[in-house]
Amino acid sequence: MAGTSKRSRVPAHWLLIAVPAAVLLVFFVLPNALLLSASFLKSEAQQLTAVPTLENYRFLLTRPLYLEVFLRTFVIGLAVGAIDVALGYPLAYFLVRTRSRWKGLLIALSLAPLLASVVVRTYGWYIILNRFGIANDALLGLGMIDQRIAFMPSTGAIVIGLAHALLPYTVLTIMGSLNGINPNLESAAMSLGATRTRTFFNVVLPLSLPGIAGGFILVFSIAISAYATPAILGGPATQVAATAIYGFIMQLLDWSLGAALAVVLIVCSLTLLYAASRLGARRAVL
Amino acid sequence: MTTEQTLNNELDRREFIRRASAAAVVSLGAPYVWGQRTDETLVVNSFGGEYQELFEKNVIEPFEKKFGVKVIHDATGTSSQDYAKIRASKGAPGFDVAAALSPPEVILGAKEGLLEKITDKEVPNLKFTWEKARQTLPPVTVIHTLQFDSLLYNKDKVDRPASWADYWQPEKRYGTKVKGHVINYNPANLLSVYALIHAAELGGGGASNMDPAWALLKSQKPYVGAVVTTSAEAAPHFESGEVWLSPYWSARAGYYISRGIPYGMVVPKEGVIANIDSASVPIGAKNKKLAYEFINFMLEPATQRAWCQAYFCSPGRGDLTDWPKAFMDSQIVTKQQFDSVKLPDLDAIGANRKDWTLRWQEIMG
Repeated sequence: MAGTSKRSRVPAHWLLIAVPAAVLLVFFVLPNALLLSASFLKSEAQQLTAVPTLENYRFLLTRPLYLEVFLRTFVIGLAVGAIDVALGYPLAYFLVRTRSRWKGLLIALSLAPLLASVVVRTYGWYIILNRFGIANDALLGLGMIDQRIAFMPSTGAIVIGLAHALLPYTVLTIMGSLNGINPNLESAAMSLGATRTRTFFNVVLPLSLPGIAGGFILVFSIAISAYATPAILGGPATQVAATAIYGFIMQLLDWSLGAALAVVLIVCSLTLLYAASRLGARRAVL
Repeated sequence: MTTEQTLNNELDRREFIRRASAAAVVSLGAPYVWGQRTDETLVVNSFGGEYQELFEKNVIEPFEKKFGVKVIHDATGTSSQDYAKIRASKGAPGFDVAAALSPPEVILGAKEGLLEKITDKEVPNLKFTWEKARQTLPPVTVIHTLQFDSLLYNKDKVDRPASWADYWQPEKRYGTKVKGHVINYNPANLLSVYALIHAAELGGGGASNMDPAWALLKSQKPYVGAVVTTSAEAAPHFESGEVWLSPYWSARAGYYISRGIPYGMVVPKEGVIANIDSASVPIGAKNKKLAYEFINFMLEPATQRAWCQAYFCSPGRGDLTDWPKAFMDSQIVTKQQFDSVKLPDLDAIGANRKDWTLRWQEIMG
């Protein structure tokens, strides 16, 4: 009887992950499997047929327009990741080390952008960067330009908008990593004669590399799949992968090409993320 | 680990399944309990923006009053986006009336069998709609509004244009001062497709030969200051006065001009192409009976008069008379006026729109 009773019980942790696993299976794995299958089907006159083909991939990988879209997407991802790490690290370092009584408030303020919708934040940049926006008015007023400049639509505008929108993610990730460093290690380094700068570069920075890598990977992966900011600041003529996928599926009603583009994006980003995470893990071990 | 701890950490499988099932039933059933629709509720999808308020005031509210029902207005999406929802849901997109479909989506909907067939039996007013326009579309839709692609210009900045060439080759008419003040549209918007067809016709081509259009698009590109997809996205550029030349739907153009923007609307000498807005019922609509009533109501003379005069668009039926003179002069209300407007080559547009869009992206990207 005791044996029967034991067989009928399932460890609670398995049951706990069963529900999210089922949700992921139904709402992530299954749709992606359908997406993958659609990418190998032919579309004729905007209708999906049952004819298998590799034409969608050939089309996307041979047209300079789409190679440019991929290149732009990954350049944006890398640029946003690099900018956010460069801006987020000093901020995270300050927030972790400050002894100010306002520390809690400062942390809340630095994460405040997350409280506003990304669309609202992006329209803020639209107001600043458009030809009749604040940036042009200021430059004209200061006499630095004599003709209005079209800051947007452009890849640069997308990078600025995304870097601003995603900065809190790197700050949070790097703060977590810095918080985990034992302060005694820094005291030990300095007691052995190391300067503050040397202590930072030889002790703190290497130990916080997993946080940097994590923040970079997180921001990079969000940036390459972002839709709203590129759509607003890039417009229809400065496409990235997400806006191109949207265009194929929602505007041209060509699901085959949209699915193929989505698959290429997923494969490329997973490969890059795997490489980055391996690199981050190696650095962490070293 | 003690027995007590084991009991705390492990759930009986049956108990777990029972609780999970109960939670699933509650969560899946919640929308039906809290958002329950009745036979007296109709969901109508149409465009948003300035269209939304006018449509609600002139069509939806009188319908609710007359039939004593509640209409939920889904004002999201363009025609292609609305059809994408119909397709993705296999005909059950959550709205009962797709009230703002354009011809390419209607033709696709008929091919894919996702729109209900509509006859005089369901919509008695169908027989009054423009016959020639009705014949160009499959019998799954009802024309309720006509527009055309006019040419909009900033009166404070440039002289009145006379030809589509003034838009496509602005430097020839206006010189380099127009640089950065011309707007161009993504062919995901039918307005762009029509403008490109006019460009092709200027060079001796047409919907079946678009090469002259691509040459003109390349030559126009240095003068383009804004590129957008939807007509609504163009509106802020008119309000700021930044765009001086633009093709634009006649209804929206009339609407914005009436609100005081310093723009004029022109019918270029080469002519304009009609845009047909029509309403359809997806096959999975929950309240088809009321959906047909709604479409029929859209074509009632009083509704057509109120709607068309509020939105500066032309009616979907040609038997109405006694329009105000100013309205008659600028809209399509008689057979003679209707015959003067070109109807779009829907077969060519349907077959080539994707390729045209890709070509446009390659040039403008």
